[in-house]
Amino acid sequence: MTDVYLLYVLGSVVSLLLYKYNSIASKIGFGISTVASGYGAYYFFMHIGETAHFSTNIALLYNPTFSIDPVSNFFSFVITLIAFASSMYAIQYAEGYASKGSLGVMASLFNLFILSMLLVVSASDVFWFMICWELMTIISAFLICFNDSTSSMKAIMVYLGIAHLGGMCILSAFLLLAHQSGSLEFSSFTSVPMSPLLASIIFLLAFIGFGSKAGMFPFHVWLPKAHPAAPTNVSALMSGVMIKVALFGIIKFCLWLPVMEWWGLLIIVIGALSSLLGVLYALIQHDYKALLAYHSVENIGIILLGLGTGVYGIAINSPTLATVGFLAGLYHTVNHAIFKGLLFLGAGSVLHATHTREIEILGGLAKKMPYTAFAMFVGVMGIAALPPLNGFVSEWFTYQGMMQGALGEGILPRFVFTFSVIALALTGVLVVIHLKLYAVIFAGTPRNKEIFDHAKEAPISMILGMMFLVVGCFAFGIGASVVTDNIMTVVTSFSGAYQAAPEGGYIASPLGSTISLPLIAMVISGAMSLPFLIIVMMKANRTAPRETDPWACGFKYSSRMQMTAGPFTGDLRRLMDWLFQSKPTVEDQGYFKPVIYTDHPRDIWWNIFYQPVINAVAYAVDKIAVMQNGSTSVYAAYILGALCLFLAISHLI
Amino acid sequence: MSSLFFMIFQVIVIVLVAPFFDGVARSLRAKLQSRKGPPDFLQTYRDIIKYFKRNRTVPHCSHWVFRYGPYTLFGTGAALLAVIPITYSSHSLAASCSDVFVVIYLGAMLRYIFGAASIDSGNPFAGVGGSREQMLSVFVEPVMMTSLLVVMLLARTSNLVEIQEMVRSGVIGYQIPAFAVASISFLWAMYVESGRNPYDLAEAEQELQEGVLGEYCGADFSIAHAGLILKQFAMIGMFLTIFEPWSFTNPFLALIVFIVKAGVFYVAAVFIDNFGPRHKLLTSFRSNALAALGVSFVALVLYVVGA
Repeated sequence: MTDVYLLYVLGSVVSLLLYKYNSIASKIGFGISTVASGYGAYYFFMHIGETAHFSTNIALLYNPTFSIDPVSNFFSFVITLIAFASSMYAIQYAEGYASKGSLGVMASLFNLFILSMLLVVSASDVFWFMICWELMTIISAFLICFNDSTSSMKAIMVYLGIAHLGGMCILSAFLLLAHQSGSLEFSSFTSVPMSPLLASIIFLLAFIGFGSKAGMFPFHVWLPKAHPAAPTNVSALMSGVMIKVALFGIIKFCLWLPVMEWWGLLIIVIGALSSLLGVLYALIQHDYKALLAYHSVENIGIILLGLGTGVYGIAINSPTLATVGFLAGLYHTVNHAIFKGLLFLGAGSVLHATHTREIEILGGLAKKMPYTAFAMFVGVMGIAALPPLNGFVSEWFTYQGMMQGALGEGILPRFVFTFSVIALALTGVLVVIHLKLYAVIFAGTPRNKEIFDHAKEAPISMILGMMFLVVGCFAFGIGASVVTDNIMTVVTSFSGAYQAAPEGGYIASPLGSTISLPLIAMVISGAMSLPFLIIVMMKANRTAPRETDPWACGFKYSSRMQMTAGPFTGDLRRLMDWLFQSKPTVEDQGYFKPVIYTDHPRDIWWNIFYQPVINAVAYAVDKIAVMQNGSTSVYAAYILGALCLFLAISHLI
Repeated sequence: MSSLFFMIFQVIVIVLVAPFFDGVARSLRAKLQSRKGPPDFLQTYRDIIKYFKRNRTVPHCSHWVFRYGPYTLFGTGAALLAVIPITYSSHSLAASCSDVFVVIYLGAMLRYIFGAASIDSGNPFAGVGGSREQMLSVFVEPVMMTSLLVVMLLARTSNLVEIQEMVRSGVIGYQIPAFAVASISFLWAMYVESGRNPYDLAEAEQELQEGVLGEYCGADFSIAHAGLILKQFAMIGMFLTIFEPWSFTNPFLALIVFIVKAGVFYVAAVFIDNFGPRHKLLTSFRSNALAALGVSFVALVLYVVGA
């Protein structure tokens, strides 16, 4: 375990030392992180059910002790798995940033970013958890800085603001809990006696704190701003992995505290809302990286549905319900990391080749970038949960868990669970519409000839990084029983057990529904071969098809005639206008020039939840600014005043 | 292993007889419209054979998504039919892929391929057709899912074979109010999914469901068309499996009974789709869908309060 961490430290230091030699620094720095992540993924997978400790014997402020249990092992595995693909991808992708900043620094920060996430999930006391947590936030903010622009600066401010709020909530939750247990060690937190009210307050603080980092509704607005602003290899890690680290925190708290029923239901309701709103907002984005970031909101929602079921299961003392819920949540965690990582890497390749994030001017790129196109196709299939890919398996478990929850007694839980099932089904339908992400970028005719002509396939390390995750999409789907078996090792370490992966490649729910993914894959591939068999038997298609322009009812075909991303969801947008509040503008430039039409739907929650806070802060800062008058003697007086105040407080208490 | 044989067998037999029922429906529709119509019920077979001899054109902007679109559409339709338990029973190997969620997500796969191929064709009408198809599912899927959820909760499983056997043996069934109401809303969803007027018309204007077919020629066209017919049969099959599962235990007899029942549904739909204008998506279609959603919610509430 320590050798994995040391490798990242090595990568970070070496790439900093090679500061002067830009291109070598990035190759070596990202190379080391590839090796470290590959080794780490192997290590954490092999030791997934074990517990380990280590401490550095340096007498720092606190003696740093880290311990890793099955849950941390699982999250470490997810982190290193995606970091492996992303580092490999970065080896050649980073070259595009050579003119924008030092690649050595970038590689160094990248290594540290992965390391900080690994340390968060292995921290064993409040102090080091919070230190690593804040480091993770700050390093990722630095990494966003590499795309130096005003919009990314604004994104960083929003991101840091939310992270600050979240950090405050998390720290308060920790301190309240530590106050009850009498120690800052995590090991003392289990089954601490406390009043239900206090437990609920701690839970809500932790839920808001971690949830805002995870990007759940209504704290999701920073995600589509910050994730697209980062370099792609970093966005893949932020969107695929970093937000999962926050879920790790939620799981930890739910295992420590005396859980209550309504917590589980609250998590489920928030999860259902996040998934529906996330996908609805994703559908109307023009910036494909922002679209993917909104998808993370949706998938966090789906994971929360699973985790909420698990928490509810603990609360009503039903071990099998808890188990299937956590199984679903954790399975979707790794699945989302894989396909979201893949989609971000694919999006990065498109950005690398076209230098634009605007979806509407791309098109036809599959002819220029066949491998990237294939990778994105699989990624969108994965996120749409089509069988036999990985997304399907975890959504199946999520459905099974919620169905089992809906079978319980009590009107309220039944309503919450059944409506959440429907919300998830509707989310599933809406995600399929994301075929447009693939189709508008890669299919059809090029909408901008110049961009199309300059586009070329991504270099080899980027393709390898994507293909690794493509294999992951298939492996975590078809190999569901093996994956389930391993996740069950994690889940049974804190919850009950049932036979989730019976012999013979099956996966099963506690209710007894059983499916076999290898068989489904066989049926689909068998059915796919049937039409070709018919073609051969009928002796058809002996000649190659003739290539023509698409049929345009007798008019001369122009590439402007084809479907674009906006109109593809036009009906949906009209149906849901209360949610988008878009104000289309039409500008007529006279008969001989094209009409300029703009339509940019907005995220209404920004105005509801964020804008008032921003206004209040701006107002307050305006008033407080009087205090900052530049006179040193006044500042000294402030310090003196504060000292007196604290003395007075300590005297009184 | 024999269950896998029957699974393949049922798909092949339905693929072979589906054009016959399409021919019957076309004759009947022609009679209702006072047209002469095809000479006999075998016209669809002759059409297919004729198409197979034709040459093909493809838009030169398209890539493999469009070019292999008909085959993947047909394949998904066939996979949908395969996972509907017609000839096999529970505790067989084939039963472990016959799950409600597998059916729903295979349907999603069909739409996914349909939409991607429609944009890839570069054809403006195909794109509109693809978009409309997605929108239809936004309306239909909540209704379908709510109805199925009620059934699954009553049966306490999502396995289609087990649900079918429970309804057959009377463990669950129309004696439960929630089940009876769910059957109504599911019937609506099934009808819309099968792409008929007044919700959609499979062989009408280009911008409707078959928009993407406008760009296919020859064998590609007939394979894609057949794929959509297979999907209709699969949707009817889904309804029959859950709500009208009575049949023989002998697989061959069961298949014959199924084909007759599904064929009757397929042809009888002509009596609905021939009358009345087509619904507009965001106005009358929406109010229709809301009514159906209301019915399915009634079923759900009946379950939730334990009736």
